[in-house]
Amino acid sequence: MAWKRLLLVFGIGAPLIAVLAFGFTRDPREIPSPLIGRQAPPFAVRLADGRALALADLRGRVVFLNFWASWCPPCRAEARALEASWRRHRDQDVVFLGVNMQDREDAAREFLREFGITYANGLDGGNRIAIDYGVWGIPETFILDRNGRITYKHIGALGAETIHAKLEEALRGEVSRREGKGDYRSIR
Amino acid sequence: MVLAGLVLLAPAAGAGGEDIEEQLRAVASGLRCPVCQNLSVADSTSELALEMRTLIRDQLRAGKRPDEIRAYFVSKYGEWILLSPTPRGVGLLVWVLPGLGMLAGLGGATWALRRWTRRSTPRPDAPVHGATLARIRTAVAGGDLSGPLSAEELRHVEALQELELDHRAGKLSDHDYAELRALYEARAAAALNSSEMPRPTAQPDRVLVVDRVPRRLGPTPRHWRWVAGGVFLVGFGMAVGIFLSGAVRAREDGGSITGDPLVGTGDAGAREDSLDLRTLLERGRRALEAQDLRRAIDLFTRALERDPEEPTAHASLGLILLRGGHPNRALKAFDRALARAPSLPQALWGKGLVLHESLGRTAEAIRTWETLLAQDLSREDRERVTAMVAEARARIAGGTAPAENVAPVTR
Repeated sequence: MAWKRLLLVFGIGAPLIAVLAFGFTRDPREIPSPLIGRQAPPFAVRLADGRALALADLRGRVVFLNFWASWCPPCRAEARALEASWRRHRDQDVVFLGVNMQDREDAAREFLREFGITYANGLDGGNRIAIDYGVWGIPETFILDRNGRITYKHIGALGAETIHAKLEEALRGEVSRREGKGDYRSIR
Repeated sequence: MVLAGLVLLAPAAGAGGEDIEEQLRAVASGLRCPVCQNLSVADSTSELALEMRTLIRDQLRAGKRPDEIRAYFVSKYGEWILLSPTPRGVGLLVWVLPGLGMLAGLGGATWALRRWTRRSTPRPDAPVHGATLARIRTAVAGGDLSGPLSAEELRHVEALQELELDHRAGKLSDHDYAELRALYEARAAAALNSSEMPRPTAQPDRVLVVDRVPRRLGPTPRHWRWVAGGVFLVGFGMAVGIFLSGAVRAREDGGSITGDPLVGTGDAGAREDSLDLRTLLERGRRALEAQDLRRAIDLFTRALERDPEEPTAHASLGLILLRGGHPNRALKAFDRALARAPSLPQALWGKGLVLHESLGRTAEAIRTWETLLAQDLSREDRERVTAMVAEARARIAGGTAPAENVAPVTR
């Protein structure tokens, strides 16, 4: 009788508790992207300065693709780091491209002015590009290698060090195994 | 262009329009909205869900099949996007386990019930030994018995005689009579047996009968356990209900869905009016640590209402401003904090960060951090500051980019 009870507790109870405990270690809101290591979805976008840009035109260069909105605090927090990184890497076969989403155009332009952003920024009116990249939190950043393959994805605010390290990896064609995570991000 | 497309499609779609809406609902209600808490794309009012619905509608109009559209979303967001996972791999467990669990539960319940019924209700007609029965019947018929009857045995015999009379007088149906007679005879046999128990000639089957009959008459001694168990379960259920409903509150913008007793946060506004300055600062610090910036701002602003020059509040707000991308306002806040408390570590750390990272005044940043290093710091904080100073020096020397580190220094 006693061993039956033991079996009941350890055979059923312990695995059940283990499963629940495992559940607590995971963030149910985390959406792991299936896109890392795959070819980046192509798109064409209207830039804030009126020009049009297709992703295919950037083939042969490493692309730093950043989805942002003017209302999102982590986007503000990373804006200066992004601009500084762009200035640092612009001579290196690296292109920075911002994609503004879920936003008003005037607010987006004001944001670009406020932070003195000099790299190209597209306006994704219908959020189609964002959905195509499986974007759910803002900001999200994708780094593409010279062949247009996604080598890294970061969700949340980015720091200059990470940008630098990941761009170097992409220049060497290395794919990160996992996506990165900033300590805070906005969703709407 | 899009409008023209719609106009062209409209007559063709005509009858199919309703069909498309239906398909749209079917697809959207199976997709999880990426930015909501467990709402489907069909139910969510978020902008992203709205765009997704538009996208699905466009795809359906373009002739895509619902499973193709679903596959498209899975290829972008992963299996996560499906509200019901595909029955493959780990996902299969979700489909199979509930069924298995239900079967196991039903099986267990049946097994337990059968065990209980077997134990608690003894067979109503405990076998009465033939010889005993014969003795009773003789007694009822008025015949002689081998020994004198005790008062109890006599009572049983009389009851049986009365039953017989009632039956003969037609007051009882045959069925009732047979049933009652069996019952009375069993009792009489039990009485007879128990009076005979001490005798050395007792036969094994008598022990059996004696063993069974009292069990049927008195309640089993385990009943109180079931009662206690039931009371405990009801109490536990009520406690869980009350605690959970108290702990979960409606999600406000950016807020947490849990609060109150379980995590010690929650309805802040109501109680914080009466808090003193120290409690406000302490709670603000905790909110800042928990990344609950909105609450932290609220608490520190309240602290400043009590004491407009409170240095910790200014320094903490400065750190929040810095993270929000407002370096100039952050710097002002740090300076205000330092005006009152020139050696406040938080303010010195934050001021250094602003100067170094956002304003490019690295030399000043190094001076600020050196003041900080002169303070009594924890080993961890000291290492972090030292590393930042070293990095800033290297930057001045070689012009490298700044590192990102906006965590508050805590003592």
